[in-house]
Amino acid sequence: MDYQKRYQPGDDGLRFQDLLYVGNFKGMPPVPDGILGDRMMKERAKSNVLQKVSKEDVLRDQFTIPELNDLNNYLAWNIWDVLVMRATEGVSGMIPRQEYEILAFMHEFYRWPEILRMTTDEVGAQGVMDIGASARTEIGTKINCVHDWCIGAVGYGMGRCGLLALEVIQPNDYIEESNEILKFMQRVLWGKRQDGWILNSQDAYRCQIHEKSIIDRLTSQLDRMEADSEDHDMVIRFNAAAELLSFLDHYDCRLGLGDTGPYPLPNGNILIIRDLFTNEEAFEWSDVCDHENVPHCYTVVLEIDPRHMKLDEIRVNDISTTFTRPKNYIPSIQAAAVFVREKWDTPMSEVYKVPVKDLAKRLEGIQQATFKLYSKLARQSRRTLITNGQYVYYIDMILPHLRKAGTYDKACQDYNFWEIDQRVSNYYYDITKRGFAQSTVPQKIFSGEGYLPFDEKADRRRSKYFWG
Amino acid sequence: MNVIAEGFNSFETNKKPIGTIKYLPDPKSVIALIQSGKLKEHIVLAQGGTTTFLAPALSMGCSGVITLSGAPESHLGILSREFQIPCVMTTYLKDNDSRYVTGGDNKAHFDLLIKALDGKRVQLSCEGGELGQVVLVD
Repeated sequence: MDYQKRYQPGDDGLRFQDLLYVGNFKGMPPVPDGILGDRMMKERAKSNVLQKVSKEDVLRDQFTIPELNDLNNYLAWNIWDVLVMRATEGVSGMIPRQEYEILAFMHEFYRWPEILRMTTDEVGAQGVMDIGASARTEIGTKINCVHDWCIGAVGYGMGRCGLLALEVIQPNDYIEESNEILKFMQRVLWGKRQDGWILNSQDAYRCQIHEKSIIDRLTSQLDRMEADSEDHDMVIRFNAAAELLSFLDHYDCRLGLGDTGPYPLPNGNILIIRDLFTNEEAFEWSDVCDHENVPHCYTVVLEIDPRHMKLDEIRVNDISTTFTRPKNYIPSIQAAAVFVREKWDTPMSEVYKVPVKDLAKRLEGIQQATFKLYSKLARQSRRTLITNGQYVYYIDMILPHLRKAGTYDKACQDYNFWEIDQRVSNYYYDITKRGFAQSTVPQKIFSGEGYLPFDEKADRRRSKYFWG
Repeated sequence: MNVIAEGFNSFETNKKPIGTIKYLPDPKSVIALIQSGKLKEHIVLAQGGTTTFLAPALSMGCSGVITLSGAPESHLGILSREFQIPCVMTTYLKDNDSRYVTGGDNKAHFDLLIKALDGKRVQLSCEGGELGQVVLVD
C-alpha cells in the first residue's frame, strides 16, 4: 500500500503544504514539510542529538552547546511543520488566543526551569524517563505527544523566542535554564518511545508507543460497523462532539486531545487511539462538565481500512493530531470502541468500555456541557479569558508530569505554581502594542527567524536564576 | 454552475449542503441562531478558523461552514472533518483580487467578503482535494 512506502529508507513523503522553511539557515536551500524536511534538518545538525540516542545520552546531565543549537533548530522547523498553516486562522472571535499564548510562552520559560529541576531532584533522571514510560501502558493519560512536545517546543522554544522578540533577554541568557527544560523533555519523550527517537517527525510521523498488551485489550473490544450505518454515525458524532468539548475545556487549544498510532493490525488495517480530555479538574470552569457527569477522558479507538481510502500518507504529528492524504478518513472507519477514564488517576483496571447503544445519552451530556461552557466563556471579560487561557498552557502542559512525579502539590505550595510572575503580569500591557501578539511573535515563530542560536563559545553555566 | 467564491477545502466529501449564508460576528449571534431553531437552514460564515467560536453550531449540527481565514490544519478545519460538515476556509471571491494576508490588516478584505456573501443562498462543493467552492443557487 502506498502509505507504507513512507516508511522505506530514502522516501521523501508527500508535501502537505506549499510553504518552505528557512529559519537559521539563510543562504541554504529552503526546507519543506514532512519526511523530506526531517531528513534535511537531521543532515544539517552538527551533533548527534537528532539521531537515535542511547539511554546513557539521555541520562547525561546537560546538553552541549552544539546539541542545544541542533535541538533549537530542529524544534523551530518542527513547530513550523505542524503549525504554520494554523497561523492563517486569525482571531477567534471569542477567546484571544494569540494574547494568552504569548504570555504563557514567556511565563513557562521563566518559571518552569526551577519546577522541572525540583521534580528531577525528587524522582531522579531515571524517574523522569519512567514518567514518559508510563504512557506505554495507559490510555486517557496526558503524558502524551502534545504535552511532552510542549515542554521543549513551547516552554523553551516559543518562550525564548517571545522574550527575544520583546528584547527583554539576549541570546546567551538563560542557557542553564534552557538545558533544564530540554533535558526534561528529552527524558520524558525517550522514556515514552524507547526506540531512540524523541519526536514523531523523526520516525515518519509514527507514534506507536503502546505495549502489545494494551493494544490487544482495546482491539478485542472493538465493534465492527459499516460506513453509513447507525452505529458508525453515532460513533462519528460522539467522537466529534467529545473532541469539540475537549478543545473548549482547554480554551481552544490542542492539549485536550491526544492521538497515538498508526498501529498496524494483522488484517492490514491501522488503529488510531484518541484520548479526548473532556473534563480537566484543575480548571474551575470545568464545573459545567461535572454537572453533566462528563468524565476526565473518553478514549475513542478507531480501526481504519487504508485500502478503502487509498491512503497515501498518514501523520500522527507531535501535537497529537492525525492528518491523512486523502484527508477524509472517516468513511474508512471499519470498527470502533469508546472507553472511559473517570479521573486522571483512575487505575487502568477500572477503565471501562461504553457500549454503542449508550453513546447517545453520553453525547447529550457532552452537548449540554459544551453549550453551558460556551455560554460561560461568552460572558467572560477579555482579561479573564486571557488569564484563564494563559493558565491552560502554563499549568496544563506540565501538569501530567508533575502529577505522575508526585510534585504537583509541592510546585503549588513551595513554588507558587499558580501565581503569575510579575514580569509576565507587566508584559500583559506590552503584548497588544504594535501588533506584538498578533503579528510580531507569529512572524518570528513561523518564519523560524526568532530562534536565535546560542554562541558556540558561550558558557553552559550562564544563568539568570537564583536557584534556591 | 455559478461559483462565486473558493477557498481551502477542509476535507473531501460528496455532501453538498444548500443554505442561506449567515454571517456570525460574535458569540451572541451564535447563541441566537441556535435558539432560533433555524441553524440547519444556514451555511454559517465566520471570520476566524478557530473552533470555540462556532462550538455550539458544530455541536448542534450546522450543515456547512465558510471561513474568511484558517486552513484544514486549524482547529476548525480538524473539527469540521470530524463532524463531516463541509467547510471552505480562507475564502476569496472569484471576481475580485482581494486576498487574506496572514498577520496583516484584513478588515477591508473581510468587509468585502461579508457584504458579498451574507444572505446569499448557496451550495458548498467540497469534492476536490484542495479547493472548496461556494456555488450560487438561484
